[in-house]
Parts: sequence; C-alpha cells; structure tokens
Amino acid sequence: MTRHYELLFVLKPTLVDEEVQARITFLKETLEKNGAEISAFQNMGTRKLAYKIEKFERGYYGVFYFTAPSLAIGEVERNIRINEDFIKFMSVKYENQKELRHWNKIVEKCNKQVTTTQPVDAPVQETEASPEA
Amino acid sequence: MAPERRKYARKYCKYCEAKIEFIDYKDTKILKHALSERYKIMPRRLTGTCKRHQEMAELAIKRARHTALIPYVVDTRNVVAHPFDQLQ
Repeated sequence: MTRHYELLFVLKPTLVDEEVQARITFLKETLEKNGAEISAFQNMGTRKLAYKIEKFERGYYGVFYFTAPSLAIGEVERNIRINEDFIKFMSVKYENQKELRHWNKIVEKCNKQVTTTQPVDAPVQETEASPEA
Repeated sequence: MAPERRKYARKYCKYCEAKIEFIDYKDTKILKHALSERYKIMPRRLTGTCKRHQEMAELAIKRARHTALIPYVVDTRNVVAHPFDQLQ
C-alpha cells in the first residue's frame, strides 16, 4: 500500500557541494528503485545543530517528500544506515486527512520555490555524469 | 479570611489564535509557544494551550529534538542569554 512520507536527513558538514549533490542523487535513486515517487525536495541548507552529533556542530539538512509502498521505507533506511555521511535521518508518515492536507501544502510550496528561484534539475544532472562516490 | 486571588492575564491557546491546523516539527518558530527557556515542554495548565494543539506540539517537539533542530537539554554548561534567538 502506498502512503505519503517525508524523509529528513542530515549530512556531514565536511562534504563539498558536489559531494552533497552526489549523496542527494544517491538517496533519490534508492528511493526510486524501491518504488517511491518523489513529489518535492526541500533544501534547508547548512545550519547549526542544536547539539553535537559525532562531534560535528553543523550539518546539511534536506527533506524529501514522496509516496511509497510501506515496505520501501525499511530498505531505504537500511541504505542510509550503511552510509557514514548521513549523521541523522528521520522518516515521517503522513496518514490522516489533516496531515495529508499539510503534506500537499508543503509540496506545493516547495515546487513553487524551485521554479521561481532556480531549476533544481541542473545541479543534479551534473553529478549524475560523475561516477558514484 | 482567604487572601485575595492574584489576577493574571487570561490564558488562551496561541495555536488556535494563529489558526494552525498541523504543527510541523521543522517550523521551530511555532514550537516555542510550548517550550520553556530551557527547552522543556511546558504543561498545558501554564500555557493555556488547548489539548488538541498540545498533543500536536508534543509530537513535533520530540521530532525536532531528534533531528537536532532544537536541543534536548539546556543545562548550566551551555546556557545562553537569549535562548530563542538561534531559532530560524
């Protein structure tokens, strides 16, 4: 059964921009491989962590909004746990009507921002050419 | 003779006033109505938040803590002068 999800992840601050993009495409591919349909991606940028994680004080935040079969989540989380560059992650299920309405609102907002500021596909395609790091 | 009761400003639910339907844990600004200066969850009897919103705020605060958006504890070692300034 497909459900609505959101997946927040925090990347190490030591990565350069291209490496960050590579991790994002990696996550995107794993999601799509497991049958997820990505609706939006929210870039929260590098921000200060409220407490130290693995001795890092800052981290890169990103959020994916997608619909996926419920079995896919376990597999995606397993993949994230293997990768050491993800210092924190959390997936949230949006279930009842009120939550779904909020989910739709965020997706709409994210997509609007992307089209007005910069095309999100451009940096992604660049990293796809380079081999998986 | 019972002492005269002190008068306080009437408490009301700040989330109802702002007509918030769902409290998102990534929006740390709206979480602070339910937090103390030391980032503890404030009880409903002190803030006046309605039950529906208090339950949403609790869940959102716990999620925000897990993802390092807000701290779990602010103790004497890392106490700050203006605790809510760092929230974006």
